[in-house]
Amino acid sequence: MRSYFLKRVVSMFITILLITALTFTMMHSIPGGPFTREKAVPDEILRRLNEKYNLDQPVFIQYLDYMKGLLTFDLGPSYSKIGTSVNDLIVGGFPASAKIGLLASILIIIVGIPIGVISALKQNKPIDYVVMFMATLGITVPSFVVATLIIYFFAGKLGWIPSFGITNPLGYIGPVIALSGYSLSFISRLTRSSMLEVLRQDYIRTARANGIREWSVLGKHAIKNALIPVVTYLGPMIAAILTGSFVIEKIFAIPGLGKYYVDSVNNRDYTTIMGVTVFYAVFYIVMVLLVDLAYTIIDPRIKFGSEK
Amino acid sequence: MNPNKFEFIKDKYDDAETSRPSLTYWQDAWRRLKKNKLSMAGLVTIGIILLLGVFGPMFTPYSYSDQVNKYKNLPPIMKLYELGGTYFYVSNDYNIFAVERNGRLIDRIDADRSRRDVINKVYVYTYQGEDVVLDFSYNLLPSKMGYDYDLTLEYRGETATQHSISRINRIFPFGTDDIGRDLMTRILYGARISLLVAFIATIVNLFIGIIYGSISGFEGGKVDEIMMRIVDIINSVPLVLYVILLMVWFRGGGLWNIIIALSSVYWVSMARLVRGQILSLKEQEFILSAKVLGVSRSRIIMKHLIPNAIGPIIVSMAMMIPSAVFTESFLSFIGLGVSAPMASWGTLANNALSGMITYPYQLFFPAMSIAFTMLAFNFIGDGLRDALDPRLRKG
Amino acid sequence: MSDTILEVNGLQTSFYTHLGEVQAVRGLSFKMKKGDILGIVGESGSGKSVSALSLMKLIDFPGRIKAGSIVFDKKDITNYSNTKMSDMRGNDMAMIFQDPMTSLNPVFSIKSQMVEVIRRHRKVNRRDALKVAVEMLHLVGIPEPEKRIHAYPHQFSGGMRQRVMIATALSCNPKLLIADEPTTALDVTIQAQIIDIMKHVSKELHTSIILITHDLGVIAELCSRIIVMYGGMAMEKGNIDDIFYRPSHPYTRGLLQSLPRMDSHAKDRLIPIKGSPPDLMKPPSGCPFSPRCPHAMNICREEAAPTFKVGEGHTSVCWLLHKDAPAVEGYAKGEVADAE
Ligand SMILES: Nc1ncnc2c1ncn2[C@@H]1O[C@H](COP(=O)(O)OP(=O)(O)OP(=O)(O)O)[C@@H](O)[C@H]1O
Ligand SMILES: [Mg+2]
Repeated sequence: MRSYFLKRVVSMFITILLITALTFTMMHSIPGGPFTREKAVPDEILRRLNEKYNLDQPVFIQYLDYMKGLLTFDLGPSYSKIGTSVNDLIVGGFPASAKIGLLASILIIIVGIPIGVISALKQNKPIDYVVMFMATLGITVPSFVVATLIIYFFAGKLGWIPSFGITNPLGYIGPVIALSGYSLSFISRLTRSSMLEVLRQDYIRTARANGIREWSVLGKHAIKNALIPVVTYLGPMIAAILTGSFVIEKIFAIPGLGKYYVDSVNNRDYTTIMGVTVFYAVFYIVMVLLVDLAYTIIDPRIKFGSEK
Repeated sequence: MNPNKFEFIKDKYDDAETSRPSLTYWQDAWRRLKKNKLSMAGLVTIGIILLLGVFGPMFTPYSYSDQVNKYKNLPPIMKLYELGGTYFYVSNDYNIFAVERNGRLIDRIDADRSRRDVINKVYVYTYQGEDVVLDFSYNLLPSKMGYDYDLTLEYRGETATQHSISRINRIFPFGTDDIGRDLMTRILYGARISLLVAFIATIVNLFIGIIYGSISGFEGGKVDEIMMRIVDIINSVPLVLYVILLMVWFRGGGLWNIIIALSSVYWVSMARLVRGQILSLKEQEFILSAKVLGVSRSRIIMKHLIPNAIGPIIVSMAMMIPSAVFTESFLSFIGLGVSAPMASWGTLANNALSGMITYPYQLFFPAMSIAFTMLAFNFIGDGLRDALDPRLRKG
Repeated sequence: MSDTILEVNGLQTSFYTHLGEVQAVRGLSFKMKKGDILGIVGESGSGKSVSALSLMKLIDFPGRIKAGSIVFDKKDITNYSNTKMSDMRGNDMAMIFQDPMTSLNPVFSIKSQMVEVIRRHRKVNRRDALKVAVEMLHLVGIPEPEKRIHAYPHQFSGGMRQRVMIATALSCNPKLLIADEPTTALDVTIQAQIIDIMKHVSKELHTSIILITHDLGVIAELCSRIIVMYGGMAMEKGNIDDIFYRPSHPYTRGLLQSLPRMDSHAKDRLIPIKGSPPDLMKPPSGCPFSPRCPHAMNICREEAAPTFKVGEGHTSVCWLLHKDAPAVEGYAKGEVADAE
């Protein structure tokens, strides 16, 4: 357990190191980027860039400086917004993103898993078909389509929810549904198939043969096993929510980090792109590590370090 | 009792087993795929989309970049006002078009700007020498609330408050965009771009995956470990981030840049899959003997790996194509797509976003195209997985 | 009679798959005395497991017990509800399965799984249930049971897991234990140990056992009575000597020549039965073995054979035993027996 944790943390740091190096190198090599001085940049920004990166120093030193900044959570100035640092953008945008991300995650877990279980227990019954049809739509219809449909009908035609920004609590409904749609559908499909697979297992038959009551067979013996693959999906789910929020925030005009990121991509604000990418990557890697540690709680085979 | 009954049968041991015709792997898979109605529907859909994407643009009168400025923001279905035997369509931005009864546009009629009354919201146009007066002040001016119509149209002494018929736009069946380009042509062309990107990226991914995975699997030991660590690292960050970085690095979205960006990151799952197959193959005896006999690796891969692993590979390809379509439209949507005037479904959707409430059809068609394609590919993928699953064979 | 623990009559179980009805068990009848160890042998697919699961009423969708009656311990359980059955399972009748590697729930500790079963059927607190569980583990020969009980299944070897299975199944002292190929997945030495444990336990706890196996050696060592199954039916029934020394059905003979025995005389060659088991979707009319039988007669293909009585408690379902059938060496004529 200890050594597993240690190994994971070490490999996490190696990954982060490589990601930052890669990002830095790429941004560094863009002609017209902040590091090449081909483009006329406002003096103020150039001054701050210089201050931050010591642009006359060799690349390697610049990278070290950048890493030093990362350790103290200093991501340098924005390349296109005068007087704004990447930190400001993250601090300003992340809470809004995190809020809808968190709400979406909760929705996914408390709705997606039960739906999947019910669907499995009612296999080939009408409710199963309805759920699976919806879930298939959910994973095939891109989130921006879902988001625009929501705006068109619920904000535009019916006027139930605000169409831009989150002006009241109802404003969360649209973004959260659009953001969770894909993962919610995926989780319910995954839970269903995993539950069906588990119900076929020998140990379920054993439990029944030993007279264990049906609610315990399903609600205890089957569910805990069925959740194992579902928990492994939580990692990719975070990715889906992070990247999903780029689009959702843009469509719903939510001033979150995703929107800033897309804006910075459109404005070619290279330092912001670099900073936010690194931020996303680190956030994702750390979250996945946490999920994996949670995983050991439900699957004893990992905790005790046996093969397979 | 008939004593014959107790005679021994001569033709003993005749095996009734041979009755079932033996099918090859592909015949069997195809037979089972055919039974899956959703998959077949998906196949037909993709077939049609492919045909339309490849040949469709040849048959439309416009190219994807032709702009007819006077015809901007025209909807696919027009509400026509009939006045004195002439049919008019009033657009959302108060342009008036003369239309034939069957829905064929004749022309935009000239606005008489000098007689335009912006305050009272009355515009005047001329058509065939006579005035057309449009009053759209209803329910707009505080003094004119509570009407059950929004505008009146006057021509040759007749006045209309309600449209009389709805007609499909004969010239632009999907409508036009905000600079007067034919949306149908652009959608058809977008199919070409979206599918081209998806197919090429998938094939490139397949090759990289097979090469990477088989090297890793065959070499084993340290090489395998390092190569798999690299895969782990790539996998530990959302792939979309790499793609965005690459696209930013390319400084813009050429078609080929997108293809390269997509091709360079999504091979990891394929590599894993191939490596797993190689490892299990390596355990098997015929590979050992092939190795002892000095058969080259590429031959082993071609002769043994591909036939053995083709099922999972095809399934994973069928799943990769829709995710490539999706990623491409996602990139286009956040502004990293193909460069204008080229358009994929994602760029079309993105362009339509700002006018979504007023011109929903501009979003509807590209969004539906994406959704249908994704759905079709998913059905095909599901069907293939069932049809090629060795566990379910001989059923 | 009062010392009958189980009586099965005309049991039929089918699976209604989308390809058609699979008639896995097609009329099985037998009687079993208390304390007996009954062996069931037969080729793969002959319906042994399905019969066993039917007795426990554990047949899942799309399967269904179509006909027949099961009287267990003087209670006709044929129409018992699932809840009522679940009260009996693990308590009055228990079952262990072929693959110990997959038969224990991987995410719960041994302790939690055993304690749950004990507390399901006995009104005891956690501590006492744990005590019983440890005792049972001790009984089946798990070293240091009070420590090992906290382990998870993956920390146990196959043989150990099968012991845990047996211990769990017997923890509420059931009257009947059904063991479906309990040793097939294990190493030979471990097999012998498990067999020993079962022998020992059945004596100690007075448990009746139905033992399903491919291994005639195991049967010879443990069982008092044997049922030979083929194509979902019992072909021959008898005691050890009947089946091993006076086999009266061509299938039994084929089986004796084709199956390995734990006690096999080194050089006996195994002769497989030619052909393959019948398609239970369209079972042959007449005797299911007739397409493969070396002595098949015309009638065998047309009409199902009645049960012939060969000796005391020894019956065979084969037309060769009919008085009009041509004589074949080794097959004595028998009387048509009343349905058992
Ligand atoms: N769930 C099911 N659905 C359809 N058919 C089934 C199912 N379970 C069993 N069968 C069929 O019932 C028949 C009898 O199977 P059973 O498992 O009882 O054989 P067995 O004698 O136990 O064989 P083995 O020695 O291999 O365990 C087989 O032909 C099998 O295909
Ligand atoms: Mg069996």
